[in-house]
Amino acid sequence: MAVEKRHFVCVVCPIGCEIDVVHDGDKIISMEGNKCEKSEEFVSQELIEPMRILTTTVRIQGAMWSVIPVRSDKAVPKRLFPRIMKQLRYIKLQAPVNMLDVVVKDSVGTGANIIATRTMPRE
Amino acid sequence: MTTEVDVAVIGSGPAGLTAAIHAYQTGARKVLLLEREEELGGILKQCIHNGFGLEQFKQDYTGPEYAERLVKELEKTDVQCLLNTLVTNISADRVITALSPENGALEIRAKSIVLAMGCRERTRSNIGIPGTRPAGIFTAGVAQRFVNIDGYLPGKKVVILGSGDIGLIMARRLTLEGARVIGVYEIMNYPGGLKRNIVQCLNDFDIPLHLSHTITEIKGRERVEGVTISEVDGDLRPVEGSEQSIECDTLLLSVGLIPENELSKKAGIELNAHTGGPITAETMETSVPGIFTCGNVSTVFDLVDYVAQTGAAAGTSAARYASSSPRENRRSVEIVAGENVRLLFPERYGFQDDLILFIRAAEPVEKPVVIEVTPPGSRINRPYARPNEMLRVKIPKGKLAQLKDSITVNIREK
Repeated sequence: MAVEKRHFVCVVCPIGCEIDVVHDGDKIISMEGNKCEKSEEFVSQELIEPMRILTTTVRIQGAMWSVIPVRSDKAVPKRLFPRIMKQLRYIKLQAPVNMLDVVVKDSVGTGANIIATRTMPRE
Repeated sequence: MTTEVDVAVIGSGPAGLTAAIHAYQTGARKVLLLEREEELGGILKQCIHNGFGLEQFKQDYTGPEYAERLVKELEKTDVQCLLNTLVTNISADRVITALSPENGALEIRAKSIVLAMGCRERTRSNIGIPGTRPAGIFTAGVAQRFVNIDGYLPGKKVVILGSGDIGLIMARRLTLEGARVIGVYEIMNYPGGLKRNIVQCLNDFDIPLHLSHTITEIKGRERVEGVTISEVDGDLRPVEGSEQSIECDTLLLSVGLIPENELSKKAGIELNAHTGGPITAETMETSVPGIFTCGNVSTVFDLVDYVAQTGAAAGTSAARYASSSPRENRRSVEIVAGENVRLLFPERYGFQDDLILFIRAAEPVEKPVVIEVTPPGSRINRPYARPNEMLRVKIPKGKLAQLKDSITVNIREK
């Protein structure tokens, strides 16, 4: 691995420190611009694998609306978003659905479940 | 049909739900919540992204989860909810006129009223973009409703004008749903939305943000076919020769929100030209006795936590008002926006409660600042001041008791 420079905006807190990082692969060599140590953990995770909560909708039948909001129950690799979205495109739920009901277990091998984020009664 | 209630709350978004819960918890027994839509929750229902309630509940909720949590709390009370009920008038003596398919015309006499109608989006006509008038131009919130509630994708090749939070959130949402978001164009030289939204909604998906740019023409006959983008100078005027043509089928506008005060005007409530909301005291009382305000109908807040905080204050004050004889002494002093302060909320202090001030800076300062509140001469340090992130400070009631004249708020570099 070669030594590289990258710019990050830390999103751990609202300050949003602008950080310049020198790294070798996922190893931080030096960083500049962060106001606290929490940024270190954030940056190392970003270098290894950026993780995010995915929020989207899936189709539902028999409810007041035709889609229902869902999210991953923990952060998943950002690069897998397209694959999870594709998987969810084929899901069609039946009302009633309760908030936090599991829609998909262990979505595309991430270990995260996709769960409903609202209750939708049967119409 | 005529009803009498202690507290009537208009609107069931985060402000109204919180106000109704707090009015009940403060002791008001007959609390009525009026909602024009078919469900409680207001705009939270379509805000399916996370980031809600970090401060209030120490949880990272999505909008619908946050709403459902509040609704569950409401269900523990005896607050009565009327759905599908549109309020058409409020009078200064607190008579509400409302319409619903179920109850027909309603007349509600309330001892106190809480306004929680929220805000609406600025549209193309508010900012006057030249060009044709084809289909495919949406405010960001309307597009959000289409995608997240109705399940439609409004377009496939999207340009977003304005970098307000809803526009940023929709840039990510439409990208996830398979649309191509070409870019976000912002007339100011700083972004309108929160930094975390710039990072997580634009940078994460390689969507470019172009500051100091605007749209100078919309093209297309039936459907949007493209837009002309121009750079703007320091006076926000398009720079000649900088025009650039971009093909797209959809234009989203995220160009600001306006508190929705048509009803407030009917009640004769005095409005503030800067915030667009009622002139309010720290109790959330408006210029009309017994009518209180909270959430985005008051001034547009950045965070739902702030909205809920004003809702709690308004609900508590409204219950207090409903149970007591009218206050004789309504003395209050003005709170004045001083150096580098674009707007303030509330803008009056009435000597009842602690003063929780929400302050929006006029210009960004990317170094430590001090917020001066004089009198009483409080100095509060903050690491920076940005127009897109409201500052909040608390001045205890005890420090303000001796006050005679107005209070001035300044933001100065440290």
